[in-house]
Amino acid sequence: MSDERWTNDDQRAPEGSGMTERDERVPGGGPEDAAGGPGPQQDTGEPTFEWFADLKSDADDPELQPVSNSVTAAFEAIVEEDAPRDEAAEPGAAGPGTGPLPAVGAEPGPVGPGAGPLPAVGAEPGPGVAPQPPVPQGPPTGPQPVVPPEGAGTGPQPVVQEGPPTGPQPAVTGAFPAAPQPPVPPQPAVPPQPPGPPPVVMSPDAAEVFAKALAAERQQSPEPPAPDHPVPDHPVPGEPAGPGPFAEPAPAAGAAEPTGPQPVPQPGPQPGPADPARPKLATEMTPPDEPVTDTVEIAAATPDRPQPYAELGMKEEEYRRVREILGRRPTSAELAIYSVMWSEHCSYKSSKVHLRQFGEKAPETDALLVGMGENAGVVDIGRGWAVTFKVESHNHPSYVEPYQGAATGVGGIVRDIMSMGARPVAVMDSLRFGPADAPDTQRVLPGVVAGIGGYGNSLGLPNIGGETVFDPCYAQNPLVNALCVGVMRHEDIKRAVAPGPGNRVILFGAGTGPDGIGGASVLASATFDEESQAKRPSVQVGDPFMEKLLIECCQELFREDLVVGIQDLGAAGVSCATTELAAAGTGGMHIELDSVPLRDATLRPEEILMSESQERMMAVVEPAKVDRFLEICAKWEIPATVIGAVTDTGRLVMTWRGEKIVDIPPGTAADEGPVYHRPYEPPADLAALQSDTPGRLTRPTTADELRRTVLWLAGSPNLASKTWVTSQYDRYVLGNTVLAMPEDAGVLRVDDESGLGIALSLDGNGRYTRLDPYSGAQLALSEAYRNVAATGARPLAVTNCLNFGSPEDPGVMWQFARAVEGLADACRYLGTPVTGGNVSFYNQTGTTPINPTPVVGVLGVHDDVRRRVGIAFSSEGATLALLGQTREEFGGSEWAHVVYGHLGGLPPKVDLPAEVALASVLVAAAREGLLAAAHDLSDGGLSQALVESCLRGGLGAQITLPGDPFVSLFSESVARAVVAVRPGSEGRLAALCEAAGVPVTQLGVTGGDALHISARGADGQPQELFSIPLAELRETHEHIVPSYAND
Amino acid sequence: MDAARVGVITFPGSLDDRDAARAIRLAGAEPVALWHADHDLRGVDAVVLPGGFSYGDYLRAGAIARFAPLMTEVVDAAKGGLPVLGICNGFQVLCESHLLPGALLPNAGLHFVCRDQRLRIDNADTAWTTEYRVGQEVVIPVKNRDGRYTADERTLAELEDTGRVVARYVDLNPNGSLGDIAGICNEAGNVVGLMPHPEHAVESLTGPSTDGLGFFTSIVKRLVNA
Repeated sequence: MSDERWTNDDQRAPEGSGMTERDERVPGGGPEDAAGGPGPQQDTGEPTFEWFADLKSDADDPELQPVSNSVTAAFEAIVEEDAPRDEAAEPGAAGPGTGPLPAVGAEPGPVGPGAGPLPAVGAEPGPGVAPQPPVPQGPPTGPQPVVPPEGAGTGPQPVVQEGPPTGPQPAVTGAFPAAPQPPVPPQPAVPPQPPGPPPVVMSPDAAEVFAKALAAERQQSPEPPAPDHPVPDHPVPGEPAGPGPFAEPAPAAGAAEPTGPQPVPQPGPQPGPADPARPKLATEMTPPDEPVTDTVEIAAATPDRPQPYAELGMKEEEYRRVREILGRRPTSAELAIYSVMWSEHCSYKSSKVHLRQFGEKAPETDALLVGMGENAGVVDIGRGWAVTFKVESHNHPSYVEPYQGAATGVGGIVRDIMSMGARPVAVMDSLRFGPADAPDTQRVLPGVVAGIGGYGNSLGLPNIGGETVFDPCYAQNPLVNALCVGVMRHEDIKRAVAPGPGNRVILFGAGTGPDGIGGASVLASATFDEESQAKRPSVQVGDPFMEKLLIECCQELFREDLVVGIQDLGAAGVSCATTELAAAGTGGMHIELDSVPLRDATLRPEEILMSESQERMMAVVEPAKVDRFLEICAKWEIPATVIGAVTDTGRLVMTWRGEKIVDIPPGTAADEGPVYHRPYEPPADLAALQSDTPGRLTRPTTADELRRTVLWLAGSPNLASKTWVTSQYDRYVLGNTVLAMPEDAGVLRVDDESGLGIALSLDGNGRYTRLDPYSGAQLALSEAYRNVAATGARPLAVTNCLNFGSPEDPGVMWQFARAVEGLADACRYLGTPVTGGNVSFYNQTGTTPINPTPVVGVLGVHDDVRRRVGIAFSSEGATLALLGQTREEFGGSEWAHVVYGHLGGLPPKVDLPAEVALASVLVAAAREGLLAAAHDLSDGGLSQALVESCLRGGLGAQITLPGDPFVSLFSESVARAVVAVRPGSEGRLAALCEAAGVPVTQLGVTGGDALHISARGADGQPQELFSIPLAELRETHEHIVPSYAND
Repeated sequence: MDAARVGVITFPGSLDDRDAARAIRLAGAEPVALWHADHDLRGVDAVVLPGGFSYGDYLRAGAIARFAPLMTEVVDAAKGGLPVLGICNGFQVLCESHLLPGALLPNAGLHFVCRDQRLRIDNADTAWTTEYRVGQEVVIPVKNRDGRYTADERTLAELEDTGRVVARYVDLNPNGSLGDIAGICNEAGNVVGLMPHPEHAVESLTGPSTDGLGFFTSIVKRLVNA
């Protein structure tokens, strides 16, 4: 596997909006600007490029940038160049009730008797209300992002002046203390809408014109298309038109004469105002005060026009390179494409040079059907079945708007999996928050959990595991990493490619609205502070119902083999999907950008290109199959529109109202982004941290102290039961969940007949990684590997989500480089290739980065899930044994963290050979049916494993500790598991262990209703130290309402 | 003799339709996929309305699905005695369709709740519960966001007086349902609505029990004996 593949993966990842991780630095003219204060930027000798500071004056200019830190504002700047806005209109436009509104009540819905609002429902107060998008009503009405009423400061909505409020706007008011969505407002007086295409907002004038245009389009579209087809005089998309896929675009008056205030072009030669000889239509289409569209022609004629690349997060070098590539200045639409495609999180420009190792060091394996370089890797699990899985972050959006941030994180990763041709079959989530009792955690956590549940549950995907971790370092930078796994037959694997000139490009799913415009850039970079509120409109809003329909629709499309290539839209939306599909295909594509169905008719082409509206997919379809494709979409009530065709020109060309606004070689945007070799060096405090070992901490010695420590840990936020979280997730749907949380790994049946199945675990440890990034990443992998093996599954492949601070901080970059190296080395040793992943940078508050947190997912295969092993001690009299070797290892341990809040020393020693040996024993023992239970030892050591296994099965145990009680109970040495052996199988297990070189220590036996802990006295005889009744354990571990709960 | 044919309706947003089909198969009947937009029950002997979030439940759970074209036939056939089981969202649709009284509100805790729930069967005479004993306790997953059964006092009294409460939550009421009601039936006993998910308790491998299978074997026996 070439490193190129990983590189591709990096670049491709963004379309899953799981990739919409805001990895990016400031788009708004510089970090300080965006963060609203001194950012953490450290110009520590950036070797390749310098930040271009000169333009910052522009960014600071209120004329140009009424909003301090949004890319909407940057676009404003673009627009400003072409057409100074009517400033007076701005405040109103951004005020409540004037933003793009869902057109509620456009049609009387099927409301019958009894369908009126139940007062009690809507009136239910309190946060945590239903996972409902904050839409008034009406199912797939593509929820609109809400605009805080702080108005002027929150990002002017482009040109919405004539859009009167059309319904009650559920604008979020003021601050956002309540975590999830506020309750659905009292049912609007308007009747609900029947399912159908998303409504759009448009000016009354435009509506009339569009209505006419629509008539021509209707036959072509299975659904009443979103009435935003403003190009009725073009050949109907989908019909071959001559040699090219499209007829020559009708020359339209791009610089046509609007009736409103005339946009004044910026300095530089302009092609002049409308040529009266040109057809009139484009003029009619142009809302009165719409600015002139920046066409290729204009760009060529006005080489010196200043462009707001810095506001878009581009550096001067990068901008210059775009000009070199194009041989002219980019149009504003092209600039939008390059800025977003070359952003950190789409191009992986800082991480690429390190991520290559995943390819270079990839182990020999024949399990990989599709390696890195697609939306997700695909693994062969046998019997003709393939599995695809991937984890992605949605950290920053989840901090800004916990419910929607987390929900759309799930939505994005699910679409990634769908676009491989798979049926998504489960999700998992790895969550990290600030202290459990911090007030903000009470805002963020319930919202995130409700969002993940609300979206995943509505999709009908079981949530089968994950983690919930608390640490002060995540206080203002929670981590929300979502994993999705999908299953398909080998022959059904799909790629994100667009081959075959003449093939049609179809956009299907939700309409395009102003959601998260520039979200890819805006939130990415910002470190969080009080300015975050102003960013709320940048977070996308999810519609899980639409996504569920998309899943079923895609399954049917795949089944009938109607798709040549497919790509989901996430970060960078249409920009990303078109450039990547084209770059991976024949190389050319022609898109009529104004065919994109809109939820907000006022969107400018640049905004359409960058919109991160959710629940959208793009497919490449042979002309002969277009009709059937559209039929199936219609069956599922999914709007679908032909927006272009594949060409062999090697150019990605986009037109807007007949004029060419984009003409680029797509590979330059998709694959040839900048690459940075950022400087790195160990953090200054690392040596001090590592030398501050936990040896100085006073240990519990008496029986009573040990007992209290067991309970203290069992009830601590990181180790306590997460039922409050996991009970909000559906783990049963689809009927194939064999094991789910709190088991070591989620286990799914794939094939009913043979019992073939998979296991998945998702693990990370930021404290370990902080102490030693190389080891920390390997420890995350080791734990996930061990967890999967503990269920009896053979570990097969790896995905990862790398959550780090700012790559511009050499200390963080060093952590990143070391972690990647450690992970790549360990993957090679364990024979588990990395199939794909995600990098999330800029996770920090001010200048303080989070603990580096690589989260690693391991996929394993069960030949027969009926032989899986769970963690529960449920049968009396089973022999308990400890597999593996215990050392005195407390650096970064839960004990040091919980009892002392201490972080120092070195993490447990990585022992990959021991992990392989242990896994081989666990897998063989499961296959032979020797084990009644197995539980890996990790956070909290043996103590915590025993607590969990006893409580899970409702059965106690008598344990004799093999050595020093404290070390035996709480050390976090790796490559260990506790197993309950079926009576009569002890000898066979011992033989397996001996053959594999795995130390076995007899611990005791299951039974009773208490956990009894003994130690060997001086005479070698066991003496009971203490016992804890299960009821007391349960009360401590499970029944205390967590401090983060909001109920 | 041909196996009984039990239809499972798929609405947009139905999620547990394939699970219901699997349960029907395991019970020995033939599952028949029914599409919400058709006007055709395809000659099935009974119908299951599965769980899910039809139309996203963006309005009120079940409020839109009840206007699906196929519901015309379902309502007519149910009034004519066709056995109908609504699970979770299906229960909500049946209430919205007025085949069953009352309504289902957002859970008391305002969270989605998924748990292995102990239930007591209080009516073993309906078309779907003859395989149980009155008073039998079973463990079946409950998972819903809008599962809090409610009805006016007169209706509640009538349900209690006529033995139309089919199942009740035991030990813990997960959603605040009045009278701990987990399921009810119509007067004739052919239409049953149930908040918990028996289709998720039909295999020991994937469920907390196999206690849910009885709902499906009940109907199969009834149809075979008919």
